[in-house]
This record gives sequence, structure tokens and C-alpha cells, in this order.
Amino acid sequence: MLKWTLKNLIAEPWHLFASVSAIAGAFALVMFFEAVFAGESKQIVAYIDHSDADVWVMQKGVSNMHMATSFVSDWKAGSVGEVEGVSKVTPILYLNTVMQAGDKRWFSFIVGLEDEGQRAGPWAIVEGKSIPAHHEAIVPSVLAKITGLKLGDEVTIAGHTFNVAGLSDNTFSMANSITFITAPDLADIMSTIGSMSYFLIDAEPNVDASELALRIKNEVEKVNAIPKERFVNNDWNVAMQMGTEIIGMMTIIGGALAVLLTSFAVYSHTIRRERELAVVKALGVQNRVIYASVMTQATWLAFLGFIMATAMVWLAVPITASFVPQVTLHVTPLGLFRIGFTALLVALISCIIPVRRMLGIDPVHAFSA
Amino acid sequence: MFILVLKQLRFESTRSILTILAIAGIIAEILILQGFLAGLYAQLREAVVNRGGDLVVTQAGISNFIAARSILPQSVRLEVEDIEGVEEAHPLTGISAIYEEAGRRTPIIILVYDTAGGPTEIISGNLIPGEREIIIDRALATKYGLSLGDPFEISEFEFTVGGVSTNSAAFLTPFAFIKYDDLIDFYFESDIAADIATFPLLSFLLVETKPGFDIPAIATQIEKHIESADVFLPSVLAQKDEALGRELMGPILGLLLFVSYGIGVLIVGMFMFTAVRGRSRNLGVLKALGFTPRSLGIAVFIEASLLILLALPVGILLAGSIASIIQTIAPVYLVLATEPTAIMKTAIACLFFATLGAFIPLRAITNIDPAIVFRS
Repeated sequence: MLKWTLKNLIAEPWHLFASVSAIAGAFALVMFFEAVFAGESKQIVAYIDHSDADVWVMQKGVSNMHMATSFVSDWKAGSVGEVEGVSKVTPILYLNTVMQAGDKRWFSFIVGLEDEGQRAGPWAIVEGKSIPAHHEAIVPSVLAKITGLKLGDEVTIAGHTFNVAGLSDNTFSMANSITFITAPDLADIMSTIGSMSYFLIDAEPNVDASELALRIKNEVEKVNAIPKERFVNNDWNVAMQMGTEIIGMMTIIGGALAVLLTSFAVYSHTIRRERELAVVKALGVQNRVIYASVMTQATWLAFLGFIMATAMVWLAVPITASFVPQVTLHVTPLGLFRIGFTALLVALISCIIPVRRMLGIDPVHAFSA
Repeated sequence: MFILVLKQLRFESTRSILTILAIAGIIAEILILQGFLAGLYAQLREAVVNRGGDLVVTQAGISNFIAARSILPQSVRLEVEDIEGVEEAHPLTGISAIYEEAGRRTPIIILVYDTAGGPTEIISGNLIPGEREIIIDRALATKYGLSLGDPFEISEFEFTVGGVSTNSAAFLTPFAFIKYDDLIDFYFESDIAADIATFPLLSFLLVETKPGFDIPAIATQIEKHIESADVFLPSVLAQKDEALGRELMGPILGLLLFVSYGIGVLIVGMFMFTAVRGRSRNLGVLKALGFTPRSLGIAVFIEASLLILLALPVGILLAGSIASIIQTIAPVYLVLATEPTAIMKTAIACLFFATLGAFIPLRAITNIDPAIVFRS
């Protein structure tokens, strides 16, 4: 029966190819959307993640970074430094605004670094300097690709001109790109004196970050202190609302479409074999064997569709990186498993409906047809 | 020929209905994605245009209304009002903030206004906020279940919801409106920094001109006399905001749209390929009965067109329904899923690939020897 099942499956190779392609196309769409969603989700908190502070200190009432405005008097860095368990305090100034290079504009997180910028500065450099000097900016390398920016070119931030001194890696996402300049330059743009936005706190060894955050909040007036994991989570929740949520919604809609298309493809494939199956039944083959045969075919369809979809996305990843470097794709094993499992489930359900109907037909009809 | 195709579709009614539903699903998916983009750009354009004024004055070097931090010196207002032809310069301040309630956070833009620049459409409450009142966009009201009279706390300063507005969100961010008197209280009483100079008191001026004066000429005078400011027609600033949105969201959503289009229309083509190939024998018989390859081609084209034409309204309806659901659940999104241009583009693309998909097997069929058809 297994041999017959496989022969039956490949009896019409063009039809098999069309069904598998339809399933693959539908699931490739979902996989691609999910890869974009996962990539962006990971990238939107890249700065907080990579700067790897144990605790973040900010203005009271503020609890994240994305689209937030936080000001803390710079002298409070000293007060925070005196709290037991604090090893190092790195203040940064921060502004989200529009940057310009030529006629291109983009939304950016501007991070103002103090003299020793290594702690809070870019974590990977593609070209040029890693720490900006006065009137210099370190911009994401992705932006350089899009805009054609080179080292030494000019960018404008709120009417102030900066020279590109370095190109950083892994600092771009749809919701934010990260640009580094000096804190005095950013203070000048923001017309602020004596204020910083966030303090990155490194804890002494074996100090619990949550307890340290609580101590800072209790001992330093009008500040909020949040351990890294919670700060990442807070920021992720806000940043997701800046477009990534749309990709999430589209993934759900695409998923629904994939389910519909897979059902249709498997249903059509099964219904085309109605007559053969009826003949098999008339020849005395048990219903459960027929069910097993049809379900095996549906499983093959889902499996081949899934393999083809994975191959399509696997090919799309480098192509996307070359042509649309702004987009970060991240294919996760969990995402693939979820899609594969869904494809299989839908295929099995879709094949059962026509078989049930067919098994109710009088075998005589199969021969007379 | 048309009747023959219609009969064929009716003969395989279940299959035809499923094909129409599948194509409709693809059309809906593409329309929704295009609707997200169109809505996003429309919101960005309207954000500044809806504020009013014949001209908008910004900080020098700032050429966006949304997403940019503009700070104007207070004195600029008087300087602008001294320019000949200026009736009044209405102040407007934009502050980015995060609204937080029960662990949930939403980025918002607080627009502080006096005589112009406030909300344009109110769905409940007052158009002008009273003392310590705030008018919030319905996206916020829906998300947090807020209604008139409810407290609305930002940086531990409590406002009362005095109105709920609509059409007041852009850049995926809902707006909230307060009056200038409350801004000062907010700065002094909330937990924001001690240095009040850090926070913007004036971001933009909405310039109202006197009748009969040439607006571009007034703009030139403002640019000439006030170094610390730039001036734009609202429509120009709207275009720049839209361009920013295109730069920011265009590549990623455009890529998703491209992939959706590519895969969607290929699937449509594949459906047609399967449908036509599945009927090879019938088509071969028609050929044997004297139908020319051209007439068979017309039949296949009519079939593809009919399926797309039938799927199109279903797809539009589906897209419209899903867009309504999204906008009801999350009103911050404007999903213009039924824009005629987008519908037209999608229909043409689907029709092209459906026809292509149907024509590929047709070539093989027209080469079949009629004798073989009858023998089989």
C-alpha cells in the first residue's frame, strides 16, 4: 500500500509540483515575515543589550529608552557611585531625533558619550574610529550603504553638522538607528547644561542587580534604577509599537493565508484522487488503510512544501542583506518548527474531509463512473 | 466561449469557490500591507496639516514636524508677529513622553497649544481642555480603557481626561493635547529634571497671515529676519514628514509587500496552472472538435479574468473587514486597505500571473494529437 501511495502521489508530477509550490509559497511568506519580525525584535534593543550595564539609572518616572526623554543632574553620578555595590558609573546623554545626509533623512537615537566613551560607545566598528571627537559622529554602517556616506562626509543633526569618523556594525533597526557623538556636542544640540540622560551602572562582583537598583532608588533622590533585563524588556515593549507590531500582525494574517492555501492545495490534491481511492475501497481495502495512505500523501505534501519554503527563505536571507541592508532577518529554529508543525497539522486536517466524504460513496459508483 | 467557461466553473463549483477564496485571501493580504503603508504616510501628512496655520516656523535646521526635537526661543514669536503680513503666530510645543499604566507603556506626543494646533475631531468630551485636563487620542483611550474624567498620569503629574480625539496620531504614536498653563505646572510639579531649560517651551509657531498678502513672500521675510528659525508651508513640512516615514518604514514594509506580491501572484499563477492542466482532456476534446488554439487561449484568459474578478470584491471585503478589526483594536493604526490605486495594481498583477499560469500548460495541450484524446 505504501508503494501504491507513493506512486499515486507522483502520478501527476506537474500537479504535485504545483501543490507543493503553493504550500511552499504560502509558508515561505510566513517564514520570511517571522524572520523579519524576529530580526527587528532582536535589533531594537541592541544598544541596551550590548552595552551590558547591570543597572540603568534614569529620571524618576521614566522606565525605558525608546522615544523617552530623561534628564538626571550630572552631579548625581557621584551620588550613585557612592552607593554600596556600584563599581562604575557611565553617564550618557540621549536624544531621539531626525538626522540628515544629503537629501536622505532618518530617525536616530543620538548617544552623547563622555571622554572615556568606550564603555557606552559602539561595540563593533566596520571602519574608522570607535570614539567620536568634537564635531564627529559614528554612524551605523548600514546607513553608509544606503546613503553612500563615507568617512569624512557630513551629516546634520538638528541643524548641527558633524563629520563621519566611524562606521559601526549592528547598530541599525527599523525603529531606531544609533549614532554616537560626544556628550558636549549633544548637550549643545539639546541646549542643556549639567544634565545627563542615563547612567550605565556596573555592579561589583557578586552584587545582585535587582537589589542594587533598589538601593540606588532609595539612596539617590528623584531617580529611577532598573536592572538590565527589566530595562531591555521595558524598552522592547515600547519599541515594538514603532512598526514591528505591524510585522507581527502581518505574520498572523500571512499565517492565516498560509493555512487557507495549504488546506486548498491538499484538499485539491486529495479530491483529484477520489476515483482511485473509491476503486481501492471497492477492492476491499480497509478504511483505516485508505486514511493512512491519504494522510501519508498529505504529510509528504506538507514536508516537501516546508523544505521548499525553508530553501526559499534560506536563499532570501543573503539576497535581502545585499539589496535591503536596513532589514535584519533572523530565522529561529523555534519559528521553523512552529511553521512545519502547522503545515503538517493543516495538511492532515484538510485531507481527512474529502476522504470521509469519499468513503461514504457506494463502491459501485466508482466503477460505473 | 464565455458561457462555456462559466459552465466549466459551475461544474466544478467547490473547486471554483475554493480557488476564488484562496485568490481573495492573497489579494486581501497584499491590500492590508499596502493599507498599512498608505495609512502611515497619510497620518504623517495630516499631522502637520491638521494643526492649521499658513506657515510653520521651526528651529533652524529642523525640517520635520514629527520625530524631530525643535526648540524655538520665546522671543521668536514676537519677531515673527512683527513681520508685515503676519496676523498672528500661534505657539505649539511638542514633547515626546511615555504613558505608563499597570506595567504597559505607550510612546505619546504631547502637543501643547494655546490658540491653534489643537485636536480637530473630538469623539467625546471637550474640544478645548480645561484646567489640568488632557485630550487624548482614541488609540490611548481604547488601549487603556480610559474615559472622560479618568486620571492620566505622566511623570507622576496627574491630568484628567477631558476629551477623546480621533485622527490625531502619526508615526505610530498617539497624540495628547494640553494647554500652556498646564505645561508650566507639569514642568514644575512633575518629577522631571530640575533644569527646566532642558525642556522645550516652544517648538513651533503656526503663522496665520493677513488676507491679501503673499504667503511665500512672508516666508522669505521670516527666513531673512530670524536666523534661529526656518519656515515652511504646512504642505511642504507634511511632504518632508512623509518622506521621513518612507525612509524609515518604506524599505522594510516595502520588502514585505514585494515578497507578498511575488509569492502571492506566483501562487495565483500556480492555481491557474493546476486548474488548466487538470482539464487537459476536456481542452484536448475541444481542440479535436475544431476549437483553434487561439479560441482555447481566449477561454483560458476568460476563466482567469472571471476568477480574479470574482475574487477581487471578496478580497476587498476581506481586507476592509480585517482593516476595520485592526483599527478597532488598535486605533493608532490607520489601514487604508481599499485605496483604488492599490486595488487596481493588485488586480492587474494577479490577472497577469493567473493568465501566465494558465497559458503555460495550454501550449502543451494545443500540441496534443486529437486521436490520443479520444483514445484515452
